[in-house]
Amino acid sequence: MQTEELIGRLAAELRPVRRLGPPVRQATLWLALAAAAMVLAVAHYGFRHDLAARMHLPYEVAQWLASVATGILAAVAAAMLARPDRSWRWALLPVPALAAWVASLGLGCFADLARMGPAALAMGTSWGCLRFIMMLGLPLTAALLVLLRHAGPVRPVPVLLLGSLASAALCSAGLSLLHHLDAALMVLLWHGGAALLLVVLGWLLGRPLLARPPRHP
Amino acid sequence: MAAAQAGDAAAYNALLRAILPLLRNIARRRIANPAEAEDAVQDALLTIHRLRHTYDPARPIRPWLVAITERRAVDRLRRQGRRAGRESSIEEHGETLAAPAANTGEARVAAAELRAAVAELPQAQQTALALAKLEDLPLAEASARSGMSVGALKVATHRAVRALRRRLRVED
Repeated sequence: MQTEELIGRLAAELRPVRRLGPPVRQATLWLALAAAAMVLAVAHYGFRHDLAARMHLPYEVAQWLASVATGILAAVAAAMLARPDRSWRWALLPVPALAAWVASLGLGCFADLARMGPAALAMGTSWGCLRFIMMLGLPLTAALLVLLRHAGPVRPVPVLLLGSLASAALCSAGLSLLHHLDAALMVLLWHGGAALLLVVLGWLLGRPLLARPPRHP
Repeated sequence: MAAAQAGDAAAYNALLRAILPLLRNIARRRIANPAEAEDAVQDALLTIHRLRHTYDPARPIRPWLVAITERRAVDRLRRQGRRAGRESSIEEHGETLAAPAANTGEARVAAAELRAAVAELPQAQQTALALAKLEDLPLAEASARSGMSVGALKVATHRAVRALRRRLRVED
């Protein structure tokens, strides 16, 4: 088909469309959804018994804030990158918060090691953490990808990765309110590991949804 | 574009025609093959059509168009690269083996089939075929050499050819 002919056909089948709202509004909408999910989770499971004591530890609070910030900024970055004309530099937005979060998890391990000695390295399993992050994180990721499905033809992969990161970080933050894991290594392993798994899953499962080549009519 | 979002087909048509040189420029800068570049332009037009609701009229349109077209051109290049790795053009393999005799396989198989089919014909038909068709003798001479009458030769040749056609499934 000639290109001019294609233009004629596209114009002939033109239907009015409703413009998308600003990306920040989309990100806010999704963050509200994620917050509602966390509130429901807290209402169901109740706060962890030592939450009040934890909130007095500046280090713990900073770590929690870093994970929340990672989630919020990654969601905003995903919404921005989903628009073709926004700069790819938006992808860097969550990087400082992410670095702070991962670093605080890592430093926590060393602090534990100094405080408790080899006992800090005792490994346990916490399938509950993994299950919580997956059960809450996968639907949240799916919701964000549906909201940002217009990213598909232009920048699918960064949006998939950032969207999964946003859900994983927020789920980890939510989980920190519910479930106590004393050893920082356990938090790193089970929260960080689950977050990583969620990002990989989001990428694998989301690819068929977003990364489709254009179809000729 | 804002008018196109509202459904104004004439404005949309004019816009797409106006941006065509820009899209072609971008595609040709990335893709050397003109036909592939034009395909990338068409991909970009389809994507623009599909994503027209994501354009924000408060922002300049050029970066939006450029980003979409660049993406489609890169996609085309990637697909082309994948195809080139998987396929190779057929002409290069007309001769698969170095020995000349090895490349006449099909002809030799056909000849062997024909010989086998001829060998299964009745003796009279084989003789008639050999004299009248292969040696191309006049019917009178063929009749003298074979001891068959001209009429019998004609009938035998005709039957032999018909039998071979049926056997080798050749259409009349």
